[in-house]
Amino acid sequence: MSFIETTIVIALLISALYALLSVGFTMIFGVGGVLNVAHAAFLTLGAYLMLYGIQLFGLGPWTATLFSLALVGLFSVLVYAGPVKLIEDDPIIVVIVTLLIFLIVEEFIFVIEGTSPKSLPVLVAGRVTISSTTIQSNQVFMFFLSWLTIIALLVFVNRTTLGKAIQAVSMTKRGATLVGINQFRISTTTWLIAGVLAGLGGIFLGTFQTAVYNMGLGPLIIAFSVVILGGLGSIKGSIIAAHIIGFLETLTTSLVSPRLTGLAPLLLLVIVLVVKPNGLFGREELE
Amino acid sequence: MSTPTEADTDRTTVGALLTNLSLSPRHYVALLVVLGLASAPLWLGTLTLLQMMSAFYFIMFVISWDFVSGYTDQVSFGHTFFFAIGGYTSVILNLELGLPPLVGIVVAIVLTSIAGVLYAIPALRIGGHYLALFTLMPPLILGQLFIMFSDIFGGTRGLPTPDPLLQVGDFATTALANYFLALGILLLIFAISFVITRSDTGKIFKAIREDKYVVSASGLNPAKFKIFAMVVSAALAGFAGAMFAHSPVGSATPGQLLELTIIIDILLASILGGVGTIVGPAVGGFIFWWARQLSDNIEWIVPGLDVPFTRINLIVFYVLTLLIMLFIPRGIFPVLLDFGRSIWARITGESSDSSLDG
Repeated sequence: MSFIETTIVIALLISALYALLSVGFTMIFGVGGVLNVAHAAFLTLGAYLMLYGIQLFGLGPWTATLFSLALVGLFSVLVYAGPVKLIEDDPIIVVIVTLLIFLIVEEFIFVIEGTSPKSLPVLVAGRVTISSTTIQSNQVFMFFLSWLTIIALLVFVNRTTLGKAIQAVSMTKRGATLVGINQFRISTTTWLIAGVLAGLGGIFLGTFQTAVYNMGLGPLIIAFSVVILGGLGSIKGSIIAAHIIGFLETLTTSLVSPRLTGLAPLLLLVIVLVVKPNGLFGREELE
Repeated sequence: MSTPTEADTDRTTVGALLTNLSLSPRHYVALLVVLGLASAPLWLGTLTLLQMMSAFYFIMFVISWDFVSGYTDQVSFGHTFFFAIGGYTSVILNLELGLPPLVGIVVAIVLTSIAGVLYAIPALRIGGHYLALFTLMPPLILGQLFIMFSDIFGGTRGLPTPDPLLQVGDFATTALANYFLALGILLLIFAISFVITRSDTGKIFKAIREDKYVVSASGLNPAKFKIFAMVVSAALAGFAGAMFAHSPVGSATPGQLLELTIIIDILLASILGGVGTIVGPAVGGFIFWWARQLSDNIEWIVPGLDVPFTRINLIVFYVLTLLIMLFIPRGIFPVLLDFGRSIWARITGESSDSSLDG
């Protein structure tokens, strides 16, 4: 009994983090048709900028988090308005350019920090016990904050004018332009949100494990899997897919072998791509 | 295509291609390059020869990538999958079963061809962004497998050195022999890719890239050609990967065959050289490899930062290629080629022909 409970608690925690890591990636794809590999750079920057906020400016963990999120959001907007804007019509070049940006950021952090992992301070100290499973309070906090962010995002996208404009652009660019929606503004907003969410995901990942220069690749693969399973561009699909993958991974780790961590989602992904390429909730990709 | 005469001029048979070879100045340039590379051991030291070999293997990887990605509509972000399967297969067979490298290399080619089929069939169903994501996955999965079963695959450090394919006398003679071997394989892979892409089959590949429905409408099955392109490309990649792993400059490690940076280098070299021309990516690969190599040797302390240039050369390199990608998306080689053609046209007084089939 306690085994099942433990598995469920851990799987829920991991799934919430995965959802947070992937939602921004989904939104950018939905709105601009851009596969943003630089997403991984946002995560890494999120974790390291929080660390620098504390080390260089003497900020507390909370203010350092806000500091980091603001800078990552700005960086994300700059990545869009600078390089990506120039080439966003060519999907292949977009992948290469964002991949280059990812590698530049990764290499930059590697040059400054080397290969040694850094630990980030926790936002909430202590431990709690949830039905015989003891976990860090920080993880519980992370869980709630992830959900809060995701719900806030859903409310924003479905209830506000700006959010509805974002949805409109992701449904049809031409139609959105016809009714007078400024696409540049919508894209910038989306990249800002995606950057902040990815930065937060990076900070959580950094406190959960550690911050290393190459910490971005693993979560990027998770984001790929989540987004393909959920359907490119579907926020709801991403949240559900994050849970499928989170549970699948926890189950394979605890039931089969810890060696298989990370493999199950990848295999699932290949199967989905072959059997149902548009994912669970994705739309047909229009030319 | 209505009259036989039109069809004759339209089709490029292998024979016609060979007679064409003596027609254009660019073919003399090609001949000079081959002669130059063949005589390189006369004026290059052993170490430079070894570096040239590494460059050759890199060019083979680039050509195998361009064969499928530059011609059909399937841009592969996962070609390292094939290099790794090729290299690891032959090295494992050599280390575990004691098979000679030659046998291992043949098995490696067979296995990568099968991998090519397995890769191509699901890829037929998807396109656009989904395909890009799909092709990114196989090397990542393989990398995970290598780490999970590190007792077999050596994890992130890779496999130990296998038997060399070619060893004659002392170090310098071995290097020389391996240089000619690498050059020979490079020319072979180049020739195979060049002849196929310039034949009717190559035209169909390009037609698929432009509009696969038109290809279907003309009674040809695009799926068949796409699988053929992927399998040939995979076999070439596996061949190059296996040869590389047994050469003095290569080894079966993720760093040399599988990592994300390798596919990035290939993409950049091809794009700088001009995708979909075989020749362009080959030249791009050579220049790119040497540019990278030379930037590793710059002993210059960056003023203001007080760090040696070699520590940040990768960043500078990526930023430069990023700028080229953004502002010269056609690639440097095609731009230079057009420039050269316009000069040639001015000299000879002929009109310049801007076809990229060089």
